Amino acid sequence: MKTDTIRCAFSRIGLSTTLIFAVLTLMACASAPLPPTQSLNDARDAIASAEQAEARQYAGAELEEANRHLAAAVKAVEAERMAEADRLARQASVAAELAVARTEAAKAAAINREMGRGAEALGEEMQRQGDQQ
Amino acid sequence: MNILPFLKPVSGVKTSAVVLLSSLLLTACAMSPTSPEGSENVRTKLTQLQQDPDMTNYARVELRDAEAAVELAEQPVDNDEAALAAHRVYMADRMVEIARAKGETRLLEAERELLAEQRDAARLAARTREADRAHAEAESARSSQAQSAALSAREAEELQRQIDTLEAEATERGLVLTLGDVLFATGSANIQGGTNRNLEKLVDFLNQYPDRQVLIEGHTDNVGSAAFNETLSRQRAESVRQFLINRGVASRRLTVSGYGFERPIASNDTATGRQQNRRVEVVIENRE
Repeated sequence: MKTDTIRCAFSRIGLSTTLIFAVLTLMACASAPLPPTQSLNDARDAIASAEQAEARQYAGAELEEANRHLAAAVKAVEAERMAEADRLARQASVAAELAVARTEAAKAAAINREMGRGAEALGEEMQRQGDQQ
Repeated sequence: MNILPFLKPVSGVKTSAVVLLSSLLLTACAMSPTSPEGSENVRTKLTQLQQDPDMTNYARVELRDAEAAVELAEQPVDNDEAALAAHRVYMADRMVEIARAKGETRLLEAERELLAEQRDAARLAARTREADRAHAEAESARSSQAQSAALSAREAEELQRQIDTLEAEATERGLVLTLGDVLFATGSANIQGGTNRNLEKLVDFLNQYPDRQVLIEGHTDNVGSAAFNETLSRQRAESVRQFLINRGVASRRLTVSGYGFERPIASNDTATGRQQNRRVEVVIENRE
């Protein structure tokens, strides 16, 4: 019964119309998994912030890892594995954030060491002055 | 309807065995999907941080985010979603590490305030010490200055006392001590009586101020010839010099001259005037 109806429709609309419809459907299918633009942009921003924070110097491994994930994400987009690309982009972001956090911790530690040395030197100076008296 | 006849023959020991077996199977089923690989390690790391009071204090928000990520990583996933599980574990792990790094940074910053306080305290102590020392030095300088001032004041006082004792007169040339003619017999250059109170005081004074040069000048009245009087005046002055040398005054300090009646200090017309003119003046030169 159904096949009869379709055949009737085909015959009515015509072959050309059916072809156009099919092509449109295929195109829709191809563009359905959109690239994770937001995640990729976030990752690029996070990496840029990390570089701004001199992460290359203080957390080079973490920054490298972020770049690796981003490159893999871009490749996944090219291969149209969009879910994987999204995950990789998110991993790149979190790795870049970690690079920033570790850079800040390293800088803070360096400042504290410097201050500690300063206080020590001052203490020694005082000691010397005390000895002289 | 089919199940009941199947269970019925099973009784006693058999029932409990079946219950045990089925519960074991259930546990096994429950366990395998709840822990994707690696999530346990992340949970362990997070628990460590959550037990650190510094971390809970300084990375509260980050730890909460990490907790959510770890919980998500612990969610069971289908066997064909291994990549998703690995991704969630990765994300959770990095978020735990971010929480750790941020907590450490804030802890260091808090310690820095303490360090700065300590440094300021040390600096203040150093400054205080320095100021105390400077104060003490100024104090001692002042007191030594005061001491030396007091000393010189005492010295000046002593000198004045000595001068007063000597009954000397302060003039431009120095201290002038006039020894009257009572020292000498008329026409004689010898000092009478061997000692004289004024001469003793002069000796004391000269010994006390050994750097002062002394002029000894003999003078006479106008009785007799000028040549006689000059010789006599010189001889009398010489007698005084000899007396001083005998009492230990260095001879190089003593200069002698005889002026005869050239420099009267009173009229030679009266006996009193002539007596005043017969004298030996000892000039103690001012210190240069």
